[in-house]
Amino acid sequence: MFAYVESLRMALSAIWDNKLRAVLTTLGIIIGILAVTLMGTLISGLDRSFENSMSFLGRDVLYIAKHEWFGQEEWWEIRNRPDLKVDYIEKLKNQSKYVIAAAPVAMRSVNITRKDEMAMGINLAGTTPEFAQTAFMNIESGRFYTEGEERSGARVIAIGYDVANVLFENENPIGKKVKIGNYVFRVVGVTEKQGKFLGLFSMDNRAIIPLGTYQRLFARRGWMRLDVKVDDKHIDEAKDEIIAIMRRLRGLHPEEKNDFAVNQQDAFRQQYQTMKIAIGGTGLFITVLSLVVGGVGIMNIMFVSVKERTKEIGVRKAIGATQGSIMRQFLLEALLICLFGGCIGIILALGGSFLIDKFVFPSTMPVSLAFISLILSSFVGVVAGLAPSYKAARLDPIEALRYE
Amino acid sequence: MADLIKLSGLQRYYEVGGETVKALDGVDLIINHNEYISIMGPSGSGKSTMMNMIGCLDSPTNGTYEFEGEKVHEMDDNQLASIRNRKIGFVFQTFNLLPKLTALRNVELPLIYANIPKDERLELAEIAMEKVSLTDRMHHKPNELSGGQRQRVAIARALVTNPSIILADEPTGNLDSKSGVEIMDVFDELHREGNTIILVTHEAYIAKHAYRTIHILDGRIEKDAQNKTTKQRKIQSKKKATA
Repeated sequence: MFAYVESLRMALSAIWDNKLRAVLTTLGIIIGILAVTLMGTLISGLDRSFENSMSFLGRDVLYIAKHEWFGQEEWWEIRNRPDLKVDYIEKLKNQSKYVIAAAPVAMRSVNITRKDEMAMGINLAGTTPEFAQTAFMNIESGRFYTEGEERSGARVIAIGYDVANVLFENENPIGKKVKIGNYVFRVVGVTEKQGKFLGLFSMDNRAIIPLGTYQRLFARRGWMRLDVKVDDKHIDEAKDEIIAIMRRLRGLHPEEKNDFAVNQQDAFRQQYQTMKIAIGGTGLFITVLSLVVGGVGIMNIMFVSVKERTKEIGVRKAIGATQGSIMRQFLLEALLICLFGGCIGIILALGGSFLIDKFVFPSTMPVSLAFISLILSSFVGVVAGLAPSYKAARLDPIEALRYE
Repeated sequence: MADLIKLSGLQRYYEVGGETVKALDGVDLIINHNEYISIMGPSGSGKSTMMNMIGCLDSPTNGTYEFEGEKVHEMDDNQLASIRNRKIGFVFQTFNLLPKLTALRNVELPLIYANIPKDERLELAEIAMEKVSLTDRMHHKPNELSGGQRQRVAIARALVTNPSIILADEPTGNLDSKSGVEIMDVFDELHREGNTIILVTHEAYIAKHAYRTIHILDGRIEKDAQNKTTKQRKIQSKKKATA
């Protein structure tokens, strides 16, 4: 026991005597640990914001569109597919026992004006009131438009949180008028703040009007999506059933391919997994590379240290140090240098993750990662220290004492 | 009681460039407790090999070496380290103190390898420092001490484990004559207290401090003789005391 405490003390003082060298030597380890911890932080942050974004796309919502998300189909094939029709909605609702709510969604980008204010590049969606259910959207103030308004083609609009902020800085927008082009709409509701989807487009930067109104004023035909919320206990069955119903609606023969696609959150998940593996793989590569380089550096400096202290080793052996105790002393020294590097790496990573958290996206460094880093750097230390320590332990005391 | 040290037919050969160098070529020697011995010989005589052998730093090619009945010639590295630690105190020509440690820490070092708890270590180290009259320099580093003081620290380090022999290799070789005399006084005193001392030297006047001188030449003991009778010594030391 004393032997270990003493070895530790000796190793520490040896490092202290060569502070600068220790710091420089440990650079590779620092970079390695920094890489692994920052990468972990990044991935955990990405995970969190991904899950956050995924909550915009309900797990139990299926998105019927002309093409598959992240699909491999050629664009001309998709182009020739027939458009989706509004009346599919009623048919899906009637024929499927799993459908809870369904809304057709047509979308385009518009500018919304009010007096001198203008909100540009707003995603204008034309849809039915059931959209409130399929889109997991809450109304912050006012209300969503009604079935009646939808059917009558009323010029009412629900605006996103950011749109409301731009157009009505310190006013209550409910009941006020806004213009899209030359058409005047009455604001009936403001949707709750939702944030960005995958950090790309803001869900608060949109406006929603009745589908009938949308089609009459902006586009009778064109791109449309059907959002179908299904029983969350039977998602797979619901998907199969919906595909069957859609094929029937489209009048497809059994040998024909689907000319539509039923998308779900999983598509994003798979895409995300691929990206995560790419990031993680790159991180792992950098980490392993810098740890190997760092380890070789440690090994090198330990060989130098053994050489420099040949005489000391001789003296220690003469007064009774065993091979084991010499080995232990040098191994501990290598291990401590690496641990020290690991700690610096973690501290730098903490700073880095703070910056990421502040300026990129919310993230924290997982505690488990700090532990893994410490274990990893200890491992590198032991492996790198093995050969030099063994060399020190095996020195012939007579030769070592004679060394100048 | 077994002889302290018993060498029989001890040989140590080295292979150098395909040639066999017979550094020790059949040495028989018995050393008893509380002897004061000097080993002399010109360089290349095998004197150093002899010292390494007695100090358990080296193992014989042939022959036997018994240390208080323990068969050193059969020991492995760890056993040799242990016997060096427990039974042998080394004093080197160049002191060989660790420069980064204080005097007291240097003296404490053998006790660390003997696995003695810290409090006890410090106590024993302080006692050893007292024996060489350096209690006021305990917390100085070697480079803050004079050559004579450094050698006294080294002697304290050799003494601290209460070894069976103190093995000194040219202990005055790096000292001025005044410090050399002081150091030899320390050895004389240690011998009077009952320690066994072996000096390796090529200086006749240093060798004379010992009671018995062994001359080595070409790997063999050439001459093994008592220096003066114990009686003569006592008279001499009394004269010194009265003077």
